[in-house]
Amino acid sequence: MELKPSMPSSSLIDQQVFPGDVVLDLSKITSQTIKLGGGLRQDGDVISVMKAGVLKFSKPNKYWVETSHKRYVPSAGDNVLGIVVDARSDNFFVDIKGPTLAFLPVLAFEGGTRRNIPKFEMGTLLYVRVVKADTGMNPELSCMDASGKAAEYGPLKDGFMFETSTGLSRTLLSSPTCPVLETLGKKIAFEIAVGLNGRVWVNSSTPSIVVLVSNTIIQTASMSPTQQKIRVESLLQKMQ
Amino acid sequence: MKEREEENFVTPGDILGKALELKPGYGAYFSSHDKTIYASLTGFRSITPAPIDSEDQRATVEVKGHKAHGPVPEPGVVVTARVTNVMAKMASADIVCVGPKSVKEKFTGIIRQQDVRATEIDKVEMHSSFRPGDIVKALVLSLGDARAYYLSTAKNELGVVSAKSAAGATMVPLSWTEMQCPLTGQTEQRKVAKIDAV
Repeated sequence: MELKPSMPSSSLIDQQVFPGDVVLDLSKITSQTIKLGGGLRQDGDVISVMKAGVLKFSKPNKYWVETSHKRYVPSAGDNVLGIVVDARSDNFFVDIKGPTLAFLPVLAFEGGTRRNIPKFEMGTLLYVRVVKADTGMNPELSCMDASGKAAEYGPLKDGFMFETSTGLSRTLLSSPTCPVLETLGKKIAFEIAVGLNGRVWVNSSTPSIVVLVSNTIIQTASMSPTQQKIRVESLLQKMQ
Repeated sequence: MKEREEENFVTPGDILGKALELKPGYGAYFSSHDKTIYASLTGFRSITPAPIDSEDQRATVEVKGHKAHGPVPEPGVVVTARVTNVMAKMASADIVCVGPKSVKEKFTGIIRQQDVRATEIDKVEMHSSFRPGDIVKALVLSLGDARAYYLSTAKNELGVVSAKSAAGATMVPLSWTEMQCPLTGQTEQRKVAKIDAV
């Protein structure tokens, strides 16, 4: 396997990789900047894999491993679904399925001042954005987007929340719309909020639709796109 | 072994010996009305024989070894501390040395966001100044509260003295805001102390 000095490449792109696999040998590549995303690590002269998953590459020089876990590692910029567990004078403590609780400042709402602090009960489900997520520190959240507008952030009322893997969350959020949601959306009206931390919230006019949508998403999680379409159509027919 | 230690454990007022045989050292004093040496501190009694070529051949008795005799941080003193936890608005650290001496018992210090540096104190990012495990030189501001001393690194010669990178190697300082790992070449941000070259 000869590597051209001008273009670094790895034979493992789009393949399943495991911790310990060597992705790139830096001694064969002359001065190039390579950007490493999650799941990869520089070990002296060699780039090796830290997490099991599929190795991805994007031009000109970005490598990362796409993993799917049941637990979430907080990362700045992610939109997640959190559950309020406690409240202090300046922060809400929110569980986002990470290693530690996250802090949601009491003023991190559009038009938030000391006089109109929202009152969230314990157990309230919130759609929030992760602002800061440094290692070892509790992540900081916000109910505003980067420009200070409320966008869609805030408490989610009614509906039903279930937990999935982070891989399924990313699939549900991918564009073009994933087959399950597209096929369901053609026949039923429902609203859905997907958190990158593996939590999904579904709401609709009747509970039976909510149950149908939730079960469909969970059951078709590991199916190929065509299988998903077939499954969804058969479930819809059963409902009618 | 324990019994012997307990025999030697003295409190202020305990008789250490006669002035004819012993000289008072650190933590002991001579009482002239009964010519005996008494202890003035709490600790363990230890006897050091006199040097051979001195006139007075009496051994010296001292009282030492109690942790209350160890150095204690005072306001205005530069201490060396190891950062234990970094939070959004402050970092906590275990004080290891007071000046050049190491402490005998554990003291905790807190470095608040506004005490990290002298300029732009409201824009300080704690995570870009300290990480858990860093060794810092800090100035004691005050005795603080019951839990911790208040420390400050708001001077050029205060801040991170030694830190390990994510790869595990001791980093080399580049400027007052950056340190570099010698293994991977990656730079990490810290509030670095300016140590004068010896």
